[in-house]
Amino acid sequence: MTKTLTTGNHAIAQAAINAGCDGYFGYPITPQSEIGEFMSKKMQELERAYVCAESEIAAINMVLGACSTGAKAMTSSSSCAVALMQESLSYIAADELPVVLVSVMRAGPGLGYIYPSQGDYNQATIGGGNGDYKIIVLAPSTVQECIDLTYKSFYLAQKYRNPTILLADGLLAQMMEPVEFNEYPYPEISIEDWALTGAKNRDSRAIYSLGPQEDRLVERVETLFNKYKQIEENEVEFEEYQTDNADLIVTCFGSIARNVKSAINQCREKGLKVGMLRPITLYPFPTKKYQELAKTTKKFLTIEMNMGQMVRDVRLAVNGQVPVEFFGKSVGQWLSVEDIAAEIERLNS
Amino acid sequence: MNYIKLDKTRCKACYLCVDVCPKKLIIKGSQPNSLGHFPVEFKDPDNKCIGCAMCAMRCPDIAITEVVKN
Amino acid sequence: MIKTTEKSVFKLPKSLKAGMKFPFCAGCDHGVAIRLVAEVLDEMNLREKTIAVASIGCSVMLYDYLDTDCVEAPHGRALAAATGVKRTNKDKFVLTYQGDGDFASIGLAESLHAALRGEKVSAICINNTTYGMTGGQAGPTTIMGQITKTSPNGRNEEYYGYPIKIAEQVALCDGTAYSARCSLDSIANIKKTKEAIRKTFEVQLQGLGFGFVEILSTCPTNWHLTPQESHERVRNELFQVYPLGVYKEV
Repeated sequence: MTKTLTTGNHAIAQAAINAGCDGYFGYPITPQSEIGEFMSKKMQELERAYVCAESEIAAINMVLGACSTGAKAMTSSSSCAVALMQESLSYIAADELPVVLVSVMRAGPGLGYIYPSQGDYNQATIGGGNGDYKIIVLAPSTVQECIDLTYKSFYLAQKYRNPTILLADGLLAQMMEPVEFNEYPYPEISIEDWALTGAKNRDSRAIYSLGPQEDRLVERVETLFNKYKQIEENEVEFEEYQTDNADLIVTCFGSIARNVKSAINQCREKGLKVGMLRPITLYPFPTKKYQELAKTTKKFLTIEMNMGQMVRDVRLAVNGQVPVEFFGKSVGQWLSVEDIAAEIERLNS
Repeated sequence: MNYIKLDKTRCKACYLCVDVCPKKLIIKGSQPNSLGHFPVEFKDPDNKCIGCAMCAMRCPDIAITEVVKN
Repeated sequence: MIKTTEKSVFKLPKSLKAGMKFPFCAGCDHGVAIRLVAEVLDEMNLREKTIAVASIGCSVMLYDYLDTDCVEAPHGRALAAATGVKRTNKDKFVLTYQGDGDFASIGLAESLHAALRGEKVSAICINNTTYGMTGGQAGPTTIMGQITKTSPNGRNEEYYGYPIKIAEQVALCDGTAYSARCSLDSIANIKKTKEAIRKTFEVQLQGLGFGFVEILSTCPTNWHLTPQESHERVRNELFQVYPLGVYKEV
């Protein structure tokens, strides 16, 4: 297949179209505005739904409405604006709607800046909405993965009727790489038994989260958590790089893994036994893999472009079996290959 | 003969229907229902009901479930 | 004996769920408004193609009454959700049922932008000049001087500013095809309200744009008035601030 040179933002948008996205609803924010720009043209060409929403709050609720009818719908946004969507994400999780949200991280807190950052790991995996719920989170580290994981986001959202976040960052969104646009590889999931399509030849259906009776609310949340258990058992995805016999395993997610790999190559050349574990699904988190590796490695080093967010999940997974160190910088500070290699060497000395 | 069908279990005793009946055929009842309200009663011994359905239109709880006109 | 033909002139609308009972306070106009919506859905044969959007407040449990498909939106976002439903399902009939707090306070942006975009949906807003479900606090439509739980001295300019005139604001939007204000205080006005609801539905079906009706309603519990006195208040106090009428019709 021929390769195309494209940015992360355009790759995500084109992949969403290939995945059969019926509706895009969005509001601009750097560094992901190109997704909405791309969609405004393509969706109209294809006569699919596109709305320049008046706010991110409106955008996510338009997606809620569209998805309640079984449509494949999405929005995309960034950091402080994804914060605005948290209430609806809680509703969407409770309603079990197959919503896809592309979250392209910029630096925070507050307005922060448009530099790349990974400061929204907690926002994506823990969330700011109310109540007990979980959102599937996929983290690409290359533009090709932006395509593959956009496909997977739509698939998992439909398969589990669960909101799914594609968590990218400004670096991936804006950089160009040669990619292959393969076809959407997943089967279509039937919406027949739940979607709102009009009460014709069947009983009327309602999708809502209000639970006026205590028992019903308890049962609903337990049903949700049974589903989350299935997701945790079936959908964990990660990349392992040179972990065999590694004394130190560097662990990271998203774009920074590119530099981590280069740093590992440098360190391997110097004879250091170092490898990498990169969670691709941030939820479900590859807890079992960490526990397995903790039996053979001496130490973990978590590297993030933030002040230490995923490291908490790593520590919970490793559960004290071996030390878990952290190295990171926030507010858009890029960690170079040299920075990372130096930290690996420091921990090895 | 015109008449109304009254479901006393739905009546919350707001008595809005009492005021709108042009023939004053709906009165406040004296027997409480399961809601603890005293539902209205329809008394039409002289067949005065004209089947205008204004009581049903007014009722916020559809306690007047049907209005029949002959 | 001559057998006469019996004819029902009033029946439970088919678009309401059989056996459902409204949980509203005695004398609350919500029940009348929802019944009128169901009657018009029946008469226009829309039940099977309807996707209703419920809002937050006393209006929330719409799905317990209407026998149509229904999705609940977060507080204020009913018209955003309705936009998503309609844009991906142009053949469906989409309506929202909201209170004045939902429509015109927390959801004002979503409401007016849906009107500005000319979304082909129908919106019904119950205006009872208070937040009913939370216990009667001051809302966007609380009139000057009105005493509520959060305006113990009456609404005044200094602390609260002024109430919003929803039907007039919606009428100012270019995408609006129909905007009217009605009332449920009398049988004559109930009939007019039903016709306004019908018109609101028709403009959607004809693809003319956004259809809207604001319905002045009562909240006897939080107004601390009897149902009868509540309707008198609508006539004596609210009509002056919120005149009835059709504010836009294309």
